[in-house]
Amino acid sequence: MKRFVWGVAVLGMMALACGAADITVRGTGASKDAVSLSGLAGSGEAGKLFVQVLQGDLERSGWFRIDPAGQIQVVGAAAPKADGLAVSSQVSWPGKRLAWNRSCGSRVAEVRRLAHQLADDMVTHIKAERGIASTRIVFVNRRGPNNADLFMCDADGHGLVQITQDNVAAVGPKWDRDGLHLLYTSYIHGSPAVYRFPATGGRRVPLAKFKGLNTGAAVSPDGRTVALILGGTGNPEVHTLDLASGAVTRLTQTPHAVEASPTWSPDGSRIVYVGDASGAPQLYIVDVATKRSRRLTYNGSENVNPSWAPTGKIAYASRRGGSYQIAVLDPAAGGEPDATLTCGPDHESPSWAPDGRHIVCSRAEGSGRSSLWILDIQGDSPVRLYANPGNWMSPDWSDK
Amino acid sequence: MRMNQLVKLALVATVVATGSGCSTIKGWLGVGPKGGLDETHVSDVPWDAETGDIIGGAGSFAETRERVNGVTFAPVYFGFDSYTLAPMEVSKIEQVAQHLMQNRSHVVLIDGHCDERGSNEYNLSLGEQRAQTVCGYLVSLGIDSGRVQTRSFGEEKPASSGRSEEAYRLNRRGEFGIYK
Repeated sequence: MKRFVWGVAVLGMMALACGAADITVRGTGASKDAVSLSGLAGSGEAGKLFVQVLQGDLERSGWFRIDPAGQIQVVGAAAPKADGLAVSSQVSWPGKRLAWNRSCGSRVAEVRRLAHQLADDMVTHIKAERGIASTRIVFVNRRGPNNADLFMCDADGHGLVQITQDNVAAVGPKWDRDGLHLLYTSYIHGSPAVYRFPATGGRRVPLAKFKGLNTGAAVSPDGRTVALILGGTGNPEVHTLDLASGAVTRLTQTPHAVEASPTWSPDGSRIVYVGDASGAPQLYIVDVATKRSRRLTYNGSENVNPSWAPTGKIAYASRRGGSYQIAVLDPAAGGEPDATLTCGPDHESPSWAPDGRHIVCSRAEGSGRSSLWILDIQGDSPVRLYANPGNWMSPDWSDK
Repeated sequence: MRMNQLVKLALVATVVATGSGCSTIKGWLGVGPKGGLDETHVSDVPWDAETGDIIGGAGSFAETRERVNGVTFAPVYFGFDSYTLAPMEVSKIEQVAQHLMQNRSHVVLIDGHCDERGSNEYNLSLGEQRAQTVCGYLVSLGIDSGRVQTRSFGEEKPASSGRSEEAYRLNRRGEFGIYK
């Protein structure tokens, strides 16, 4: 396993560049719970790494800050054993405690994963929230014309892996609900087709190879149906593909408009998508059972790239004043935000973390490059996923 | 396991076209692996019969036919975020139609492209619609829809790598590939 040691750069400057009015919610950090790791002894290279990764995860979760005087205390030892690392620890917080004893092999990736598990367990038990340290993010690196590949990394930007080695256009990677498989659009056979395959390697299975456009695949919350864009009917429309039967159903019928980017609601009853029936791309919601659509957005000259969080909120890229910025709306509450989460250069392709709090998106860096950033709707400063330059785009955050 | 489903041929069915002749489609499902990479996963019923959109059969011209070298046509250009044909561009399509009428064994694959601005995914759909618009005009000129296929590259394959308005103009295009 190749070892990646790219650091994570926290650039508060990005937030400073935005006026206060551009930040939907401005957190002060005061609401974070203080955690003391002083009593957790990390020995040996692996033990020290474990403590370091745990600390980073807790800070990135958004719920904690590290403070030797913190009321939440992790005590114990992360120490080398014959074939790896053994963690024997106890987490205590007012009135409660959690015994946490695990072990893993000696590889860096295993040590990091074990630390991610403890961080997530702490978020779950102490905050009753969904941890994201064990999740992964998949994205595209576009090198040039018809030349791209998929990559993925852990939520903390470490463990970068090149998944495909095709050097052809790759668009819209999305995690399957199991957190183990990926779906995306590839041109490996010359025409755009939708494929599914295990993220860790294995057979690439074509899911949709109809004539014309096959793209935008997104798996329903129950894992049984794929929403996608097919052009085969003479015009790109939103369809669903039943994975068990192979039956395809068309959900939209707009001969004079194109559709893109279908994304499921948390309960699987609706799909938000991009349509340009109004003359410019805007968000619409279609009811899967009735096939009835309604327009969702009007504010902003274009609204694209919807991502529907488990909380019910929809993040999207809204074109305001000549650039794309990340905005969040709640379709249940109605209305559209005047403020965006980002400002400055183009920010596109938001994807929610399963905690419904963090969003990963791409940010234009000029000269044909773009970087990936993690936003916090509760106001923590944006965090760059990792520091190396490239043309990184279209990130998707795994559910698991 | 699905190892034995490698060569699951797609169903062949016909479609009654509505509107543009380009909605008469021959689609295809994974008809076997290339280089042992793929296996089919989908079932024998690729489309909901209720919608009348059952399709299947031949593959893309780019995979099943041979490119005719030396026969090239000027690309059709489009306006920003538009897939309507400008009057200036129509004669380019007519030249392709004339070639197809004079060369009955030839078929055409129309690639739709976009400039880099905007959502990658939306641009894929926009590129498809541009190609479909060109396809529709070819069919209206009397070309059998079975001889015309579309393919979208969205913003993935620009003709010009610049970021000027001129580069963007050159990238918003439909390209013709002649196959036999």
